[in-house]
Amino acid sequence: MYRYDEFDHQLVAERVEQFRGQVARRVAGEITEDAFKPLRLMNGVYLQLHAYMLRVAIPYGTLSSKQMRMLAHLARKYDRGYGHFTTRQNIQYNWPALDRIPDLLQELASVEMHAIQTSGNCIRNVTSDQYAGAIADEVEDPRIISEIIRQWSTFHPEFSYLPRKFKIAVTGHKNDRAAIKLHDIGIVIVKNAAGEIGYEVHVGGGQGRTPFIAKKMSDFVPAAQLLAYLEAVMRVYNMLGRRDNSYKARIKILVHETGEEEMRRLVDAEFAKIEASQMLTVPQEEIDRIAAYFAPPVLQELPATSASLDSARASDSAFDHWVTTNVVSHVKSGYGIVNISLKPIGGIPGDASDAQMDVIADLAEAYAQDEVRVTHEQNLVLPHVKLDDLKTVYDTLLAHGLATPNLGMISDTIACPGLDYCNLANARSIPLAQEISNRFADLDRQYDIGELKIKISGCINACGHHHVGHIGILGVDKKGTEFYQISLGGSADENASLGDITGRAFTEDDIVDAIENLVASYVDLRHNGERFIDTYRRVGMQPFKERLYAE
Amino acid sequence: MQSNRQLIKDGAMAENLWSYVEDDAALSDAASIISLQRLEDDADTLRSRNAPLGVILRAGEKQGEDVRRLAPFLDMIQLVAIEFPVYRNGRGFSSARILREELKFDGEVRAMGEVLFDQWQPMARCGINAFEVDASISLDQFNQALGEFSQAYQPASDGRRGILWQRHGK
Repeated sequence: MYRYDEFDHQLVAERVEQFRGQVARRVAGEITEDAFKPLRLMNGVYLQLHAYMLRVAIPYGTLSSKQMRMLAHLARKYDRGYGHFTTRQNIQYNWPALDRIPDLLQELASVEMHAIQTSGNCIRNVTSDQYAGAIADEVEDPRIISEIIRQWSTFHPEFSYLPRKFKIAVTGHKNDRAAIKLHDIGIVIVKNAAGEIGYEVHVGGGQGRTPFIAKKMSDFVPAAQLLAYLEAVMRVYNMLGRRDNSYKARIKILVHETGEEEMRRLVDAEFAKIEASQMLTVPQEEIDRIAAYFAPPVLQELPATSASLDSARASDSAFDHWVTTNVVSHVKSGYGIVNISLKPIGGIPGDASDAQMDVIADLAEAYAQDEVRVTHEQNLVLPHVKLDDLKTVYDTLLAHGLATPNLGMISDTIACPGLDYCNLANARSIPLAQEISNRFADLDRQYDIGELKIKISGCINACGHHHVGHIGILGVDKKGTEFYQISLGGSADENASLGDITGRAFTEDDIVDAIENLVASYVDLRHNGERFIDTYRRVGMQPFKERLYAE
Repeated sequence: MQSNRQLIKDGAMAENLWSYVEDDAALSDAASIISLQRLEDDADTLRSRNAPLGVILRAGEKQGEDVRRLAPFLDMIQLVAIEFPVYRNGRGFSSARILREELKFDGEVRAMGEVLFDQWQPMARCGINAFEVDASISLDQFNQALGEFSQAYQPASDGRRGILWQRHGK
């Protein structure tokens, strides 16, 4: 994992002091809420329906056990004993008192963490593949370039007041788990014919009220030139992005209105100028220095199978199911990648209590090379666990309500905070996720249904990723009543697609039955071994729609 | 410059010697800041004028004026004022860097409009060296803002190399 040096420490410490001054001026009434707003927003502090909310950055979703313990401590001391892991691989605290946030940030800084640029119209926390460094067939660990991007984008003097927020995601694997095509910039690490590492850069993806799949701007940007290329994209956006209408201010709209080809020409022209200055050519020594922090952990030489695991699976069918759904093959034989579902049946997606966070930290330290990852699907990962240790890890998780064997299943929903917390929402998301989870609680039924990603947003801003749900649900407000609109066929992976709206929306009372109806259609229509999304892509909307709206 | 504003230039309180001149007003021999359009329209006449000339880049409704339109006239002007209509509009940060780094403009680059405390340091990093700030701001406060961050990760127009390079003595 990356460790701060004196430069990193100093900047974060200075940020805490800066924010402490801003809060003091606000609390003393020297500045109005209006003037305070841009300042707090640059530091992840939102004013929600009931209270201030603080969003803490977890760069590329990687945490040490020490950091996880700090997150638990903060939940206990400053919040109501829980935190909420988000689709941006961050954590949010819903109830901190404003005047205590500077102290919270100071404690956070002691474990090399911060809330810098977790909100505001700037370059946000860089997100990445939760299996980085643990999965087979990775071109390069995506956290290396993610950390370089994190540093370059931190307090960037030119790009802190962009037309709108800006999100960058990186994957080093052909299977995209970071939804890179739905980001303002999505980066795929590739190797060219000469075996050199470079970056395929996609620009202009995004969700919100006008969703777009990103366009490929460059097939191959050499490693040393990536920052120059990113700066070129950012400058074109900062110069030409719309500032007359915040709903049309994201780079996806600029790419759409400018056209892909012209956008590429503009970026290339800017890139040529910046690259000519050589200002942003990252020294190889620095790339090597950062890469060393992400060197693969020293793991034991173990056989590919584990006799103790096999016998535990044979004697405990619940454990066997959990291994099947939640454990993924590791690049190193004898190890596995453990997914910890934060979607207990009937629970709140992404929430974890302080006690749960402490347990996960302990497990990471004892069994997973001291690492935890956060996924954009709002789950956690222990990236390097011996197959021999899986049963022990499972038993501990089980005892703390963390062993729900539903990864990728219908109850593993993404949901935004919705009307329970958010002042933008039209409808509640969390209670709906809970109802769906309860309706499909039976695990045998979930396994029969197979992979099915439901994503729920409480409003058109799409924080719950409904556009890319196999089944997407969007909360809409009609004359003061909550309705839910359904879309089908979305996907956030390497074959990214946007869902199609089925038709008229459903009431709160009807929506879960409607989901049931869609599942029944799928079960009737599917070929052997076909996932919901594959069936939808084969048969299209019509058969689903006919049954959904049949009288 | 508005009457409730004062000028801080190159880190010191400074007397403002410039005035903004509307397009339909006659130009005197005083130091004058005119619109980009007027500069383009009257460039030939202005070239023979014997007094300091400055230009304001207006933020406009949608995108704002393009700083690169100044390229043919840089030898005629001593000042570029960049309008920041609201604190959220950070387009001028790019304009300033392009002026300094690409167009190699070495005259005064001035920020005017709604510019907040925490924006002065990034503006200075982007090459802005003169600030029209509220008259209530003391030089101490200004300098405090400019020193909020002692380090920077990335290079810009202020000659700092950036931590990613500094670590290796580059």
